[in-house]
Amino acid sequence: MSTVVERQTPGRYARLMTTLLRETLRLDVWVNRLYPTDFNPLYYTGGLSNLFLFTLVLSGIFLFFYYDASLGEAFASVQYITDRVPYGGIVRGVHRYAADGFIVAILLHLLRNWFTDRHLFARDNPWISGMFLLLFGGFIGFTGYQLVWDERALTRLFIGGLGISDGTLVRILFLHIGPATALYAFLWWHYVRLRHPKIWPPGVWVLFCVGLVFLLAGVVPMTRETIPAAAPAAHPTSFPMDVFFLIPFWLLNFLPAGVVVLLLVALFVGGLAIPYASRRETPVEMGVRHSGVAQVIDGNCTGCELCYYDCPYNAIVMVPSPGHRSLLAVVIESRCVECGICIGACPFEALELPKFLERDVLRQVAEALRPGSGQAVRA
Amino acid sequence: MTQVPKVIGFICDWSVDLKPLSDGGRLRELPNVRVVQVPCSGFVRPDWLEEALNRGADGVFVTGCPYGDCLNREGNFLMRDRIDQLQRRLQRRKVDTARIGMLAFGLHDGAAFLAEVKAFVDRIAVLPPAQPARTAGRPAVAQPAGTPEGERT
Ligand code: SF4
Ligand code: SF4
Repeated sequence: MSTVVERQTPGRYARLMTTLLRETLRLDVWVNRLYPTDFNPLYYTGGLSNLFLFTLVLSGIFLFFYYDASLGEAFASVQYITDRVPYGGIVRGVHRYAADGFIVAILLHLLRNWFTDRHLFARDNPWISGMFLLLFGGFIGFTGYQLVWDERALTRLFIGGLGISDGTLVRILFLHIGPATALYAFLWWHYVRLRHPKIWPPGVWVLFCVGLVFLLAGVVPMTRETIPAAAPAAHPTSFPMDVFFLIPFWLLNFLPAGVVVLLLVALFVGGLAIPYASRRETPVEMGVRHSGVAQVIDGNCTGCELCYYDCPYNAIVMVPSPGHRSLLAVVIESRCVECGICIGACPFEALELPKFLERDVLRQVAEALRPGSGQAVRA
Repeated sequence: MTQVPKVIGFICDWSVDLKPLSDGGRLRELPNVRVVQVPCSGFVRPDWLEEALNRGADGVFVTGCPYGDCLNREGNFLMRDRIDQLQRRLQRRKVDTARIGMLAFGLHDGAAFLAEVKAFVDRIAVLPPAQPARTAGRPAVAQPAGTPEGERT
């Protein structure tokens, strides 16, 4: 690692990221004028994604009861759901629009956490699991479009139009539901290092989003005339395109299939690399305070567990203490982001940030209060 | 009290941008406010606030990011709770709760931050003088007579 080169490279990327950070927070200032900060939807993009996912699961279970995964019946059963099943059309619309909401929310979540540097250093696990959530989310949306078995079920790329049998749709249905279950495994990974993750948005946003999805489903219902059923030999030319899930297909108009696949792979791998590639410098070079991983002063620790409850990253574990005390706090260094929240939590002066000690703080306090300091002179 | 109160503010690195606002650890517009930058508002140990008051500060406050947007997810909420506790604890010892404040401002909220700090200082300035500064150490339970109970909760 030649430091000379490292010193120069921060240049453009770091400046760009700094600008993005500032602009993201400037946007917040605007949004905060509309909503009190407790309700700023941009602070709850993760919770909103989870809400949409939950809506998708519920409406998906409903649709699952009526859907018939066979070549002859699939399209007809979708029509049956839309026209005959009470509220079927609405639920189908909900499933469709909640999927869009899901993708929008996770993309916002991704960009926001990227731009505000919340993916760096010890916080890479949520980023990596988040990339998998995005990948699986996109894939599930894609298989969902196959299931309808209208012309958008593009037999051309997905299965090449060959070898389509009665089992095909069953397999696709599995590929729709199986990964959806896997999403929850990834969510566990996404949350595992977070204490008190913000899983749900505030109540009003829950109502608003669910209401919006239902409203859309009612006002812009899933129409049935516009898209004919898929015929294995058909070569679809134009059809309503879903901006979020079917972009790869749109690209097929310009690029060969192999290139599109390569592009997607590159995007995913690039996304996985972001926290490491963009770890462009040490915290010092980023101009961020580097206080060092929190250290427990074993002799002072009483095992009260307060730091354990407050650490937002589950970086503190309580272990049986070798001495007479019952428990001892231990910091898992790879998880600690050096935020110091545990220092504020510990009433027994048993935790310190090695490069910003309690006595440094108290010295600054004492300095501030020395008679004659500043302009405030006590009589 | 006609004196300019001495105030210490603990400011999170990620919240309001102090560069244009401060000089040598003091707010340019309010030189009686000393700012101490901390990695997260949650880093501040309530003991330190108490200690600052005991040593003669007229007021202390902590500034974090807007609620919901803590870089470390929870720092400002935790700090808000801890400050509430500290206020209750000190109120029992007849320290006016107005002397301890929790603010939340983002990177670009410099102007609003200054206004809020001014208001905070003004509130303290009209309070009757606090107990005389004591040397460091755990405060005794007894308080000097004449310090009124804070009217706000
Ligand atoms: S808060 Fe302090 S005393 Fe309590 S368990 Fe943590 S380190 Fe030990
Ligand atoms: S500094 Fe303390 S609270 Fe913050 S991540 Fe490290 S152990 Fe957890």
